Amino acid sequence: MNRLVVVAEMTLRELLRRRGVLLLLLLMPLTFYLIRRDAYLGQSVRSLLLGVGWAVSTAALFATTAARELEPRLRLAGYRPHHLYLGRVLGLWTVGLVISVPFFLLPMIDGADLRYGGLAAALLCSVAVAAPFGMLIGALLPREMEGTLLLLTVVTVQMLIDPAGSGAKLTPFWSTREIATWAVDHTDQGYLSRGVLHGLVVTALLVVGVAAVVSVRLRRRRHLRHLPVG
Amino acid sequence: MNADDWLRTLTAELHQRRVAADAARHVVAEAATHLREGGGDPWVVFGPPQQYAGAVVESIGTAPGPRPGQVRLHAEGITKRYGRRTVLRDATLTVRAGQIAAVVGANGCGKSTFLRICAGLMSPDAGAVTVSGRLGYCPQSGGTADFLLADEHFVLVGAGQGVARGPARRAGRAAARQLGWEAGGDVQARHLSGGTRQKLNLTMSTLSAPDVLLLDEPYQGFDQGTYVNFWDQLSRLRDAGAAIVVVTHLLNQLDRVDIVLDLTPAQVTGWQAPTVQGGHR
Amino acid sequence: MDSDRRGQWLRGVLDICVLALLADRESYGYQLAQALDAAGVGPIQGGTLYPVLLRLQKTGLVTAQWREGSAGPARKYYRLTDDGYAALRAGGGAWLTFVQPVNDIVTKGVTR
Repeated sequence: MNRLVVVAEMTLRELLRRRGVLLLLLLMPLTFYLIRRDAYLGQSVRSLLLGVGWAVSTAALFATTAARELEPRLRLAGYRPHHLYLGRVLGLWTVGLVISVPFFLLPMIDGADLRYGGLAAALLCSVAVAAPFGMLIGALLPREMEGTLLLLTVVTVQMLIDPAGSGAKLTPFWSTREIATWAVDHTDQGYLSRGVLHGLVVTALLVVGVAAVVSVRLRRRRHLRHLPVG
Repeated sequence: MNADDWLRTLTAELHQRRVAADAARHVVAEAATHLREGGGDPWVVFGPPQQYAGAVVESIGTAPGPRPGQVRLHAEGITKRYGRRTVLRDATLTVRAGQIAAVVGANGCGKSTFLRICAGLMSPDAGAVTVSGRLGYCPQSGGTADFLLADEHFVLVGAGQGVARGPARRAGRAAARQLGWEAGGDVQARHLSGGTRQKLNLTMSTLSAPDVLLLDEPYQGFDQGTYVNFWDQLSRLRDAGAAIVVVTHLLNQLDRVDIVLDLTPAQVTGWQAPTVQGGHR
Repeated sequence: MDSDRRGQWLRGVLDICVLALLADRESYGYQLAQALDAAGVGPIQGGTLYPVLLRLQKTGLVTAQWREGSAGPARKYYRLTDDGYAALRAGGGAWLTFVQPVNDIVTKGVTR
C-alpha cells in the first residue's frame, strides 16, 4: 500500500515541477473553451472536455516516458509492476481531478444553462480515460514525440467524427461526448447511462492494457534464479 | 592535490590492493615523515599514489584475501544475439562474497548487455544466471528522475524495501557523503552537474545494502577525488561481504580486483573464448 | 645524464648502496636519501628508495624500528641484520669485482 502511495506522490511532485506541462493542463482546455465560446454552448463545453482529456493524456504520456528508465531499478528495489502503474495512474487521476475543479466552475461563471451533474460526470469521465490512455501510449511508444503525434491524431479524430456513426464508439473519449450531450442538450437518460458505461469499460480496458505492457516489460526473466542469502 | 590529499589517496589505494593494515599505516607514515623533512611535491618525490602503491605491493605483497565467501553470482554460458550479430558468446562469470570482478572489453562488445542480463533486465538467448541475496544495479546513464530531488530518489528507492522516509533519506545522505557529496537540498536531478548526478545514480544502487552489486561504468564525470572515494566505498562494501561486478574500459585499475572477465570477441583465427582470468596475485 | 640509463644502473645497485650505508650505523629513509645525494650518486626520490627498503626488510636483510624524534615526527630507523651483513659482503664484493674491469675498459675508451 505504501509503495503505491509513494509512487503516486512522486508522480505528483514531478508533474508539479514541470511548468510546461502545468501550463498545458490549465491553458489548453481554457483555450479550447474560449475559442468556441461564441458558438453554440454544446460546442464550447465539448471543446473544453476534449481539452481536458488531451491535456491529461499528454501529462500522462510525459510522466510515463520520464519514468521509463527508472522502472527497472525500482523493480530491483522491491516494487512489483502493479505498484508502479497503479501508483502512477492514481497520481495522474489526482492531478486530473484537481484541474477539473476550475473547469467545472468556468461554465458556471459564464452562466451556462446545463445539467451541472452531467458536466461533473463528463469531466470525471475525461480524466478517468485520459490518464491510462496517455500511459498506454507512453508505454508503447518510447519517445515523447511519436506519442504526442499519436495523441494529436486521436484527439483530432475524436473532434471530427460523427458521434452517431458506426466507428465512433471506438474512440476513447466518446463517453465524454455522450454525457456532455446529456448535460447540454437536456436529452434523455439513455445518453448518460451509455456514456458512463462506455467510460467505465474504456477506462478498465486501458488500465488492463497498461498493466499488461508494464508487467511484460518488467517480468521476472526465466534465465535468472534468485536464491535467498544462505 | 596537496600532500594530505596525496597521502589520503595512497591510504585508499593500499587498502584497495589489500595491503595489510599495519603495513599500509607504516608506509603512509613513513612517506608523510619523508615529505615533512624534505618538503617537495609528493607527485615528484613519490610519483602518483597509484604507482607508488603498486610499487609497495610488489615489494611487500598483499595480505591474503579473506577466504572468499559463498558464490553470490554465477552466470554461465550467456549468449546474446541481435539479429545476425552475436554480442555475447558463452560468457561465464562466478563472483563470491567479498570479491570484486571487473568486466572489460572493447566498446560494443557487450559489457552493458552482460550486466543487464545478470540483473534480470534482459533475457539472453542461452545461459542461466543465479543470484544469491539482494541485487543492486547502476546503469551507465539515466537511472535518475529529472524532476525529483535527491532526497525524493532515496525515499522512492527505500520504499521498495519498506524503509520509512526518514531512515531512507538519512541512509541516502550518508551514502552520498561517502562519495564526497552533500545530498540534502532542493536541487532537481536535472540541474545537478553530470558528475553529481552520477553520484546520485550510484548512491541509489547501494542504498539497499545489496549482496550483489552490478555497476556499469559508474564513474562517468567523476573528478579525481570522487573517483578515489568511489573505489574506497567499493572496498568497504567488498569487505562487508558484497559481491561486486564493475564494467570498466579503464584497464589501469585491474590490480584492485579479484577477477577479470574480458569480453573481447575471439580473433578471426580465434581460439580464445571470453575467459575468466585471475586478477592480481 | 640520461635518466633512463641512470635508472637502470640504480636498479642494479641501489640495494647494495643502502646496505653499505647501513653497515656504518642505523639510519632512516630521508637521511639515507641525503647521504646518497651527498656522496654524489645524485638525488634519490622517495618513490625509488622506500620500495627498496621494504624489500630489504621483507627478505630479512634489515630490521626496522619506529622511534620518536626529539623534535619532529617519529622516524622508522633501519639497521642491518646478520644476513644483511653477509649479503653486503657477497653482493658488494661481486659488484667491486664486476666494476673494476668495466672501469678499465671505459677509461681507456674515454681518455683516448
